[in-house]
Amino acid sequence: MITFKLFLQQCIRSKEVWMSLLLITLLGVVSIIIGHKHLERQQNAIAEVHAYQKQHFDRQVALHNEDLGLLLYYANFAYINTLNPLAGLSIGQADVNPTVKRITIKTFEAQKYDTDLVNPMNLQSGNLDVSFVIIYLLPLLVIVLTFNVLSEETETGTWRLVIIQATSKLGFVVSKLLIRLMLLYTILIFLFFIAKLVLNLPFNTNFIWMLGLSMLYVLFWFTLTFFIITFNKSSGFNALLLLSVWLVLIILLPAGINAYVSSKYPVPEALSTAIAQRDGYHTKWDTDKLATIEKFYQHYPQFKKYGYPTDGFNWLWYYAMQQMGDDDSRNERDALNEKIKLRELASRKITTVLPNMYLQLVFNQLAGTSMSQQMEYLEATDAFHEKLRLFFYPKIFEKQKADTIDWNQFTPEYHEATPNVSLVQSMIPIVIASIGMILISIPMVRRL
Amino acid sequence: MKRANVSIFALNFWHNATTSKTFYLLYFIFVLLSGYAAVSGVKNHNTQNEIRKEHQVKARQSWEANPDKHPHRMAHFGTFAFRIHPPLGIFDYGLESFTGSTVFLEAHRQNSVNFSEATFSTGMLRFGELSLALLLQLVLPLILFFVGFSSVAADRENGTLKIVLSQGATWKEILFGKSIGLLAVSLLFLIPVLLVVITTLLLLDDQFEWLRFLLIAFSYVAFLYIVSSLTIVMSATSNTSKNALLRLLGIWLLLVILLPKSTQAMGNYWFPTPSKLAFQSAIEEEVILKGDSHNPDDPHYNSLKDSVLKAHNVSKVTDLPFNYSGFVMREGEKITSSLYKKHHKKLVNIYESQNDVTIFSSFINPFTAIKLVSMTMAGTDFSSYINFQNQADTYRYELAQTMNELQMEYISPKKKSGSEGKTHVVDHEHWEKFQDFNHQPMVFSKSIKEAFPALISIVLWVLAAFWLLHFTSKKAKAI
Repeated sequence: MITFKLFLQQCIRSKEVWMSLLLITLLGVVSIIIGHKHLERQQNAIAEVHAYQKQHFDRQVALHNEDLGLLLYYANFAYINTLNPLAGLSIGQADVNPTVKRITIKTFEAQKYDTDLVNPMNLQSGNLDVSFVIIYLLPLLVIVLTFNVLSEETETGTWRLVIIQATSKLGFVVSKLLIRLMLLYTILIFLFFIAKLVLNLPFNTNFIWMLGLSMLYVLFWFTLTFFIITFNKSSGFNALLLLSVWLVLIILLPAGINAYVSSKYPVPEALSTAIAQRDGYHTKWDTDKLATIEKFYQHYPQFKKYGYPTDGFNWLWYYAMQQMGDDDSRNERDALNEKIKLRELASRKITTVLPNMYLQLVFNQLAGTSMSQQMEYLEATDAFHEKLRLFFYPKIFEKQKADTIDWNQFTPEYHEATPNVSLVQSMIPIVIASIGMILISIPMVRRL
Repeated sequence: MKRANVSIFALNFWHNATTSKTFYLLYFIFVLLSGYAAVSGVKNHNTQNEIRKEHQVKARQSWEANPDKHPHRMAHFGTFAFRIHPPLGIFDYGLESFTGSTVFLEAHRQNSVNFSEATFSTGMLRFGELSLALLLQLVLPLILFFVGFSSVAADRENGTLKIVLSQGATWKEILFGKSIGLLAVSLLFLIPVLLVVITTLLLLDDQFEWLRFLLIAFSYVAFLYIVSSLTIVMSATSNTSKNALLRLLGIWLLLVILLPKSTQAMGNYWFPTPSKLAFQSAIEEEVILKGDSHNPDDPHYNSLKDSVLKAHNVSKVTDLPFNYSGFVMREGEKITSSLYKKHHKKLVNIYESQNDVTIFSSFINPFTAIKLVSMTMAGTDFSSYINFQNQADTYRYELAQTMNELQMEYISPKKKSGSEGKTHVVDHEHWEKFQDFNHQPMVFSKSIKEAFPALISIVLWVLAAFWLLHFTSKKAKAI
């Protein structure tokens, strides 16, 4: 016990260590505030949409009571991606993808990819959220705390004394490292505690997994530095080597992989889909009305009873045309979805070998801010859109008055994102990497 | 300060730096990375532009393929504007991956610019992208720190410094000499990158903008001089070389990672972006106040109708010499467009205020200064994006109004409303006559204006670097 106390004293004696510990805690708190701001902004947007939707229908009904088809040309319905408070820890893709979508019952493809108002400069600089502090900055702190654990003993000449007095060299190095690991764990737990209070996080499994995975990640970096310091080189060399490893793992490799994925899988399908859905709908104004309606009935045989009104403009024909925007662009849309899945699969595969990128993806999954969850949300929005169509189509075709519909039932609806990772599986790559590092380092300490 | 002495120190530094094995290893890695970045940059530029140009043609073909029809149908048929990737984008990706590439242009509606790379990527993109600019802004400074951190401190530690000073050299000569030496080393890295960029740009057969390229080249030289001087100054003021290295790394971390992220976050905090709904409903409310052409009882349009009828001395709109519904739509488009423009301008101003925090930070952070100059000159910056948005919106407005005017002119005044059917149509030759959208890159003078604060800050930083070397030479100690 006394040795541990001495080790601790030795560790926190230096000014640099204090400074860096303080700095990381401060940045952690700042990142929590940024996460809080993000959540607050999203919550406000959701509250706004609730307030808006009610008076929106009132106005539309007042204007177009006689013409339900026209009303639904303008009316939009909110569909909300439920905000997971963990998104305050890992903002992920939530800044570029909208949380609230307001859609009309017209062609869905034309509305699917509409973006929020975003400043691209903000996107590029990225969010200083808790996941950033953990993934980018904690490794640096690990390096600062550990790079000279062994070399300072050799450089100040105390190593020989240690060899004579300590029962085990390995035990000595490991307990020095353990003290530092505990120190970082204390900070990590403290930050998660603050985050829980500030962001109102529920104390659930996802929260605990996030903390657990962060602790594992920090452990991984400890094993990495453990490996490097056992070469028993000078402090300067260790610092240099560790920082190079950090640079390669955290910046160069991910950046290179990005360049690879985006050039290997460009997405021309997105643009083709956009053109196809436009042509799918708009060209129907010039083609045979009967054919359009027939095609519509092939999709929805249940509406056949509304007949084939081809004289002049009518809403049945109009919404049949809108439907064609979706139906005629199906091939392009499928190709696009295929490509997006391919992209995600490729990045997932590559990232399993890079603990930092891997952790980011798992964090985003747990927080519901990943790309695959965004795609699921869009698919759910599609289903919501279909539900609206099926509800309104017969009413439009029967020329019902708008005030016969109870508009109060159309409050914004919510989509619940589910994390798509097996939690136990998610820790395997980091655990393997850590164990591997330890296994190759232990024999080297014995040779010291 | 004797020139001969300065060049002796510079040559000596160059010799010491370039003869070590690690240097060759670093150089080799850097060249390898540059090669990879250059190839993926060029490949990305080519595929993106091919895709966008191909789709621009495709969208145009289906526009021109329209038969005779009511012009309002064409206004809704609309077209797409695809943003062209600028040639220097191969060097600096800038905001390219975070700005959409495609916008649908139609009457009544200002659609969002969609399909940015970021919308189709996993969270990985936030780790950064490997471009030549990233290597020069982020990796090269680190290499220079590694090469130069011990240049003065090690001499002090092993006592060479005392000997050199006692033999008549001055501190000023040492510091300026070494910083010039380090700058020369950095050019060894910079010049091949610039050569690669020139060759590819010449091969790409785009209109090569020499001025943009030259400004980028000079700015990077200036930036590397600032970094070199900073390295030498840190080395001279730290008592051990280990301390010098740690301090330099701390500076790098602060200026490259933490400060840029924090300044943008502060901008975002101080000038919050409104939600899309708030933005849209603000416009909607003003439209209702000013005149809603979709509301049959709207007072603005009723009084407009009365005055038009009076001016032409008729009692019914169907007796007017032009199609009244086209006239109303033209008026509606004018009102909504000007309101949209006003609000959009406000929004862009908010973005600009957010970005201004970053721009001002370039006066305390040369790394931000070079980043801004580089992407503005490459045409991948915020202003180029907004410039595209404005071009697309102007084109959209022209499209809508041209179609409204065609309607006023060619559609019978008797046709009160509706655009369905084959009787009230306009000849399809008009569709071809309306020119396709053509994205013009932002003009150089505008880019210069955008980059001006950052350019000034680079100049100030160069002066500061001189002063710092001068100041350090007076205070530095040999032991």
